[in-house]
Amino acid sequence: MTADAASRVTGRRQWPLPKLADPSAPLLVVDGLRTEFTLEAGRLRAVDGVSFRLDDGEALGIAGESGCGKTTTALSLVRLLPGNARIVDGSVKLWGIDLVQKTDRALQRYRWREISIVFQGAMNALNPVRRVGDQIAEPIEKRLGQSRAAGLARARELLDLVGMPRDRGRAYPHELSGGMRQRAMIAMALACDPAIVIGDEPTTALDVMVQAQILELLERLRRDLGLSLMLITHDLSVIAETCDRVLVMYAGRVAEEGGVGAVFDHPRHPYTQKLMGAFPDIASGRRTLDVIAGQPPDLRNPPAGCRFHPRCPFVMQVCREEQPPEVRFPDGVRVACHLHPPGGDGVVAQAAERSAPDAPPQSPAPVLAAVPEPDRAPDAGAVPGLAAAPDLAAVPDPAAVPGPTGVARPPVVPPPAARTPAP
Amino acid sequence: MSELLRLEGVEVHFPVRESIADVLLRRERGFVRAVDGIDLAIDRGEVLGLVGESGSGKTTTGRVIVKLTRQTAGRIAFDGRDVTRLWGQRSLREFRRRVQIVFQDPYETLNPRQTIHDFVAEPLEVNGLARGREREERVMAALESAGLRPATEYAFRYPHELSGGQRQRVVIAGALVMDPELVVADEPVSMLDVSIRTELLQLMLELRRQRNLTYLFITHDLSVAWVIADRIAVMYLGRIMEIGPADRVIRSPRHPYTAALISVAPTPRPHPPGTHVKRTILAGETPDAAHVPSGCRFHPRCPLAFDRCRTEEPPLFDVGGGQSASCWLAERGTAAELAAVLVPDAPGGAVRAPDGPSASGAAPPLGQTPVPGGVPAPDGQPR
Amino acid sequence: MTAVAGADVRSARLRLRVRNARSFVRRFLGRRDGALGVAILAAFSVVALFPDLLVGPLQTVTTATGRQLEAPSVAHLFGTDHLGRDMLNLTVHGTRISMTIGLLATLVTLVIGVLVGIVAGYVGGATDTVLMRITDFFLVLPTFVLALILAPIVLDLIGTDAQIGGIRATLFVIVVVIGITSWASTARIIRAQALTLKERAFVSRARVIGASGTHIMVRHILPNVLNLIVANAVLTFAGAILTETTLSFVGLGDPFDPSWGQILNAAQESGAPGLGAWWYVAPPAVSVVLVVLSFTLVGGALDEVLNPRLRARR
Repeated sequence: MTADAASRVTGRRQWPLPKLADPSAPLLVVDGLRTEFTLEAGRLRAVDGVSFRLDDGEALGIAGESGCGKTTTALSLVRLLPGNARIVDGSVKLWGIDLVQKTDRALQRYRWREISIVFQGAMNALNPVRRVGDQIAEPIEKRLGQSRAAGLARARELLDLVGMPRDRGRAYPHELSGGMRQRAMIAMALACDPAIVIGDEPTTALDVMVQAQILELLERLRRDLGLSLMLITHDLSVIAETCDRVLVMYAGRVAEEGGVGAVFDHPRHPYTQKLMGAFPDIASGRRTLDVIAGQPPDLRNPPAGCRFHPRCPFVMQVCREEQPPEVRFPDGVRVACHLHPPGGDGVVAQAAERSAPDAPPQSPAPVLAAVPEPDRAPDAGAVPGLAAAPDLAAVPDPAAVPGPTGVARPPVVPPPAARTPAP
Repeated sequence: MSELLRLEGVEVHFPVRESIADVLLRRERGFVRAVDGIDLAIDRGEVLGLVGESGSGKTTTGRVIVKLTRQTAGRIAFDGRDVTRLWGQRSLREFRRRVQIVFQDPYETLNPRQTIHDFVAEPLEVNGLARGREREERVMAALESAGLRPATEYAFRYPHELSGGQRQRVVIAGALVMDPELVVADEPVSMLDVSIRTELLQLMLELRRQRNLTYLFITHDLSVAWVIADRIAVMYLGRIMEIGPADRVIRSPRHPYTAALISVAPTPRPHPPGTHVKRTILAGETPDAAHVPSGCRFHPRCPLAFDRCRTEEPPLFDVGGGQSASCWLAERGTAAELAAVLVPDAPGGAVRAPDGPSASGAAPPLGQTPVPGGVPAPDGQPR
Repeated sequence: MTAVAGADVRSARLRLRVRNARSFVRRFLGRRDGALGVAILAAFSVVALFPDLLVGPLQTVTTATGRQLEAPSVAHLFGTDHLGRDMLNLTVHGTRISMTIGLLATLVTLVIGVLVGIVAGYVGGATDTVLMRITDFFLVLPTFVLALILAPIVLDLIGTDAQIGGIRATLFVIVVVIGITSWASTARIIRAQALTLKERAFVSRARVIGASGTHIMVRHILPNVLNLIVANAVLTFAGAILTETTLSFVGLGDPFDPSWGQILNAAQESGAPGLGAWWYVAPPAVSVVLVVLSFTLVGGALDEVLNPRLRARR
């Protein structure tokens, strides 16, 4: 972090940095984080060696489906974990200060004041019997030791900032619409002027129009306030819209990480490819969706080797035995997949060696080629048969009805230049 | 007859009663016009996607069709027969066998204390349709056709032992066990993970093919409707704004609301650096159905509204190709050009003026100099 | 389509039931409160079922084995009462009376309360209004006063020495009275829960498949208020025992079939407290406390264990 950036950090903040902070250190570095849940049936490692970095002013999206550990990762940063969860390994360094080593009391200095969270489903996160303005003012009073009047004044400022009329602070949560409640949650998260705001599925429960409004708001706040954002969501489009970098998680581990453009334009990890293919995309004219066979593994008894191997169309023997190491590509993307082994420039050589009938194309292929259905090779994704069955009460979901991949449609004429690329 | 369901002028108005006096005297202080006059026809074997945001009335429409909610006006015809006045458990028996519903929340649709088997067997039991061995066979068959194989592994479990996708398959099995002809699916995949959604959608289409089912697919997600529906109807505040074949509605929307929805439809493809997508983000949220705006109900939020829109409500105009839109622009033959457009970033950062009344008066955030002026609000944006 | 043999289905169903039962027992006894409560209840139940085996037949004036108001000793572990009867013997026999009354009264309360609650909550409308007004009426009636008034009236009606189903009239009166005065609060609680359940998706689904109101109430509402009923039953049972004790203490009991309350009544009237004969009062009183406590413990444990949703949150 350069001196310029450091002054940006200190200059824009109303409150001083923590005493131990090292302004020359990166904003947030997470290294080898491991978080475990203790259940009556055993221990479940929800986060298994996750590392990433968040720089000042950056927006990082953490993508993955339910159960992949993305929310647990975010909550681990501020240790807002349920009673039966513990961080068992790794470090979380905020300006060089390792938060994992801090006691709960010491951590109070950081919670909300340096890192705050906007939760999913604002209705559940807001106290229904208190006015919204009071709830926004509360962290200002409690954590910053301000007076009640100062807190309420600042609350009104914050409501303004998030695009709500100031007098709505006197309303109760149930009197506000869904979008307004989410804005109020954002205002609350900004109350102590944090360096990092984590959004946990901030738009999931909202209508698509309201979602667009909220994303626009987050983007504006990020630019105006110089915030760093971490967005946790299963919705790749939210990340594509708002984030600079994306971290794709699967079963507690990092599958792929890199710039949003790099990862989404040519995803290297099969899971990322499949995930992108599973999103319907109006703009691309594609009316087919990919199936990811099987279902996410039970983390009490995860598959050996690469955790995605039971569902991976390109699975090799090594995938069943060894955890793939992380490889970094020149374009800044990190991947953990045996298709991209360390040493050598990975991709092209790999593809030429493969003789499997569904060999991946020469360049890392986006799954989203708007290719007419008949030309496409039957996607190995439609693998019949069960996923690896861990022993648990829930019986694994048998693979879907065998048949053609996705939703068969005749090809659609591409839209008449709906998107004009920049000159 | 290929037309299976027809709704004409269907309305569902809920009276608003505020005080005890109102309740006792049965006096209304207004109405929540959840469904405010819709005309709909679904052909046999078709998938009609009914798209709308919350407050649009799409769920209420679904409930009216399966007779969970009573319409307050209008006519409903099923398979040529007028069923508007058909009520009562006995009279509805035949109707219920042929029209079923799949609800949104697989965690809620299943009674936590009922086994999967009992859930699927219940329709047969309640209607006396099969007994003993035949009943068992039909239940197992239904479970297997919903993709739960072997059925005996699932039948005697409780809902909490199954994943979300499996539960929704159980719900589908429960809807299919009586061999219905029309299935209303109310947001059947919204609560499922993305990778599970595809399987469920695939399943539903496969079942349509095998059994010649007809679906009314209710969703707030235009992209999902895009993938699964033959025709799409867009609802706003209780009325249909646009209806037509799916690709026509998506590719050339004729109603500003549809166009706006399409423009903000999320896409996982990021735009090239140095550009951003100009989306038509409507200000505010859908108004309360108890206070429907005059004239065209969309006019307060419509970027293209003009005088006539404020005073007269447009009917559905046929714009060709089986597509109709309820918009005065459509009458003139003008298309609503509001699709998402990729534009270069303006120097200094093109920050759209935030919606909401405080657009101009926002206090400078935290002592920093404000970002050099926002882009002025697009033409016609009403305030 | 796989043809499934009937035997497969039956065995799968059986496996499920066994699994459920084992899981239930394991969970329930795994909790300290549940285990303790059950232990105490079991002990008292054994005592209630086999009093003669434990202490011999109920002692009467003529078969009293001790002298009056003897303090506890090896011969009489709990001492003797004012007639010289062994306190242990009396207390043990009293267990049967008290617990039987408690059980019957709870049954009456539950049957009426649950029926009214579910019907009022689910059917709604005018039915709900009428039922709730009736409930309100019974809710405000003071239990004790009502008991005092009703008891002699009912006794008059059926005759003091009559027996109904092997239960003496006086006891029967107490059962009826407790039942009549307790059902209203149960009804209220159950109704509130029924109102919530009515709106849930699985009830809507039951309607869509054509289920009748009765079917829905029995198959969907009732099972989902079960944990509420159990919690309520347990507390009702405890309350019934307390009420019975009080009523007997005041003199409405049967001197020939002494329940714990009756023993306390006798103790009071014989002036035992003033004479310092604590052993006359302590055994029945402590027994009441222990039984009520055990019910509360069991109720709490049952509530958690019976709720599959709570269990599912892993």
